[in-house]
Amino acid sequence: MSGTDYVVKRTVFALMTLLVAITLNFVIFRAAPGDATSSLAKCRNCTPAFREALREELGLDKPKLEQYWIYLKDLGRGDLGDSFVSRQPVWEELKQPILNTLPMVGLGYLISIVLGVLVGVLAAWRRGTLLDWGGVSTALFFYSMPQQWLGLMLLIFLGGTLPASGVSDPFISFLDPSWWEVVLDRLEHMILPSLTLGLVLYGQYALIVRSSMLEALGEDYIMTARAKGLSGWAIVRKHALRTSLLPIATLVALTFGYIIGGDILVEAVFSYPGIGLATYEAVFDRDYPVLQGAFLLLTFSVILANFVADLLYFKLDPRISG
Amino acid sequence: MSLLEVQELNVWFDLASGGELHAVQGVSFELDAGERFGLVGESGCGKTTAILALMGLLPPNASVAGQVLLEGEDVLARGERTVAPHRWRDVAMVFQGAMNAFNPVKRIGEQIVEPMELHGVAQGREARRQAGELLERVGIPAERAARYPHEFSGGMRQRAAIAMALACQPKILLADEPTTALDVMVQAQILELLVALAHDFGLALVLVTHDLPVVAQVCDRAAVMYAGEIVEAGPTDALFHEPRHPYTRLLFAATPDLYGEEPVASIPGTPPRLDRPIVGCPFRPRCDRAFAPCGDVHPPLKAVAPARVAACHLNDVPEAVAS
Amino acid sequence: MTSTAPILTDEPPPLHAPPPRRRPLVWTVVRSQPQATVGALVLLAFVVVAVLAPVIAPYDPREKVGAVFEPPSSEHWLGLDDGGFDMLSLMIHGARVSLIVGFAAALVAMLVGGTVGLLAGYFGGKTDTVLMRLTDYFIVIPDIPLMLVVAAVWGRSLTNIILIIGLIYWTTTARVIRSQVLSVRERVYVQRTRALGAGHRRILFRHVLPQVAPLLVAITVLSVAVAIFAETAIAFLGLGDPTLISWGKLIENAFSRSAISVDAWWAIVPPGLAVVAVVLACTMLGRSLEDTLNPRLRVGHLSVNRFRMRRAEGEQ
Repeated sequence: MSGTDYVVKRTVFALMTLLVAITLNFVIFRAAPGDATSSLAKCRNCTPAFREALREELGLDKPKLEQYWIYLKDLGRGDLGDSFVSRQPVWEELKQPILNTLPMVGLGYLISIVLGVLVGVLAAWRRGTLLDWGGVSTALFFYSMPQQWLGLMLLIFLGGTLPASGVSDPFISFLDPSWWEVVLDRLEHMILPSLTLGLVLYGQYALIVRSSMLEALGEDYIMTARAKGLSGWAIVRKHALRTSLLPIATLVALTFGYIIGGDILVEAVFSYPGIGLATYEAVFDRDYPVLQGAFLLLTFSVILANFVADLLYFKLDPRISG
Repeated sequence: MSLLEVQELNVWFDLASGGELHAVQGVSFELDAGERFGLVGESGCGKTTAILALMGLLPPNASVAGQVLLEGEDVLARGERTVAPHRWRDVAMVFQGAMNAFNPVKRIGEQIVEPMELHGVAQGREARRQAGELLERVGIPAERAARYPHEFSGGMRQRAAIAMALACQPKILLADEPTTALDVMVQAQILELLVALAHDFGLALVLVTHDLPVVAQVCDRAAVMYAGEIVEAGPTDALFHEPRHPYTRLLFAATPDLYGEEPVASIPGTPPRLDRPIVGCPFRPRCDRAFAPCGDVHPPLKAVAPARVAACHLNDVPEAVAS
Repeated sequence: MTSTAPILTDEPPPLHAPPPRRRPLVWTVVRSQPQATVGALVLLAFVVVAVLAPVIAPYDPREKVGAVFEPPSSEHWLGLDDGGFDMLSLMIHGARVSLIVGFAAALVAMLVGGTVGLLAGYFGGKTDTVLMRLTDYFIVIPDIPLMLVVAAVWGRSLTNIILIIGLIYWTTTARVIRSQVLSVRERVYVQRTRALGAGHRRILFRHVLPQVAPLLVAITVLSVAVAIFAETAIAFLGLGDPTLISWGKLIENAFSRSAISVDAWWAIVPPGLAVVAVVLACTMLGRSLEDTLNPRLRVGHLSVNRFRMRRAEGEQ
């Protein structure tokens, strides 16, 4: 397959997935029993006239197909609607949370990738030993934990030493902090949620790295490397690692959806004001436009991550790009 | 003193079911500098295991006993520690199906340079120059060093593998089925190349193959393996013209005649399982000359003529010659 | 050359010493599949507890039996929760809902995924392309946000939650079953049956389905774990059925009623551990079943580990 073919194919796939997600988003909300106004929590005491006005404002009185078209056009302009609660545009509501979430999820990813690769490589390298057995069981154990529960466990054990909620110390601005004090404060607040995400996710990476490492170690070229006189660790580092890390590139993207789900739970546990908490609160308030917008943004980010992984894989493996 | 002396080499594999498979059973042979030696047998007879054992390349479920003396030094004496320094430096290898002998995500040149730098033969630019020279020597343009393995044809990859084996100017080259999976024309070229290189570089060559005519064409001396042991060894000519073990005779009969005139006869039956002790001669169920002692007594390998050994009871019966 | 006809062809030849005695079948299964055995036993234990909940629970889980957040004691092994309810009884009753959701949602996923996989694999061509594309799209859409959105909009009854979870986690089943059907379809007897004029329905149900059924069961066991997980997430986000007791609900309860700030670890730890135990059991059982039925590449004739030297060899 030529390079351009591959890129075009993956692009089309990403765009199609996006369209499916957008449509799904429309269908779930519009095909719900009743409509947004009838289940609108904040509108329990509204008069029928107000309801009617709201329906008109939301365009719910128009035929479904026309609604879909309007919805697509609004999306095209980057308009995700207005929040029921704050009456602010959804995008404005979600901007800051997204900026809060990104570094936290990034740190979580970093923890899980480092731990996962380390455990996976060591377990494969020392296959059949206590190290292998212990590493794999620990990874499986963390992997089997509900993320919110692991978060609560960390709160029990570390809640006293590390900040347990929020994104920064509310009083720090009074202390006239230097920039690195601000960064340190933010980092401190990130550790528990990031650690939770990282611990739950690393097990999956460890298992995959281990098995792809074992597969790589079973290849004939590993025998060649041994015959050449390379030591065990040099073989792992120079020959097995590169090929067995290829799946990680894809896996990091594929698990992005999983980490997004975990992000909602974890931000709820630690009251971390990110997109996850915004989603959680939108569910609580039945603030559908925000919920819809958050869902779309999250899905979009997952699709993007998958797309990037496809391209990355293409770059890393000479067998495809050749 | 021989260049390489293998004495009473035994290999067992632990089986997942709890048993043990005695894959190589007391194999001994010698190799002089510059000599070309063949190790022949059906697949599963332990020939590949034996040469992997002498480079210490067996997996962790294998246990090894015996001595491998390389210029008098017992290289397996302390396992990995004593054998590792000799790998590629003194003993290099060309593997069965070189298709997969190269790491698919590294350039060919890089992989040839790797052992040079590892063993301090040459570094950096000089190593790359030598790698290019070696590639030219096996008939590949030097600039192809920058290519990836999947960009090479099967024959070219095998040539590159041979170039890689020569990277540290070893004394011994072990070639394990170097021509299987290649088409006939390419096979002949690779064999010619091996012989020429062995001559030019003063290499001792151990050729492991199931293909007797190949051995006859390339090697001075050969050993025939069956069920983990050497059943006959001697000069190639003698083995061919006057075999002293029925297996050797049947093996020659089973390989197609060069001109394809005679019909091919394969040896009926299959080799015995090696996960249980064998009673009597391991070849007995497939032998066309089996007689009374073969059922109870394991025939020992003993001298049957100058520079020749065989393990067959027929050699003890004056009137019945093994052939 | 001489004839190659063998004189001795007795088969099997008495070439070897007699093989070791055989062990009983149950022992063989336990020995060869220790993971599956442990997983099945743990799962069975939880099912028994769930079924017998009213009999074995020491207290009525909805009856206040002591002070709020009373620590564990000889009467209340796991202490009391924020409402003064017995934690052990809550756990035992919670097993019911958690396992019902787990098994029922896995069943839904099995039906949907199994059907999609069967149809795509069996009919191939356009059907296959369309169904698998659809599956690919669904795989990409993040599960928890989707679940959240659907649960928020469609309501929070037990049936809804089961349906939502089942309808989100069918994709893996569909993919695995499809590839299995592809290989079954090409086997001779299916083709022969088709040549004999059997209808699609008959071939699918009588010939293809029995072949893929064991694998379907293995994947469904794995889905049980995923579904139980999903239930805890839904419950934690306040979208569970508020009238039912489940492990997910218990975790949510401990969190929202600040069990942590009063150090009532006994209200938080048990439900999570129970989920871990069931999820691990399902994973162990499902994985070993899957590995047996759908053997992937068997890995590792080599590794960088070293061989051993054997010292004194006792020649046999």
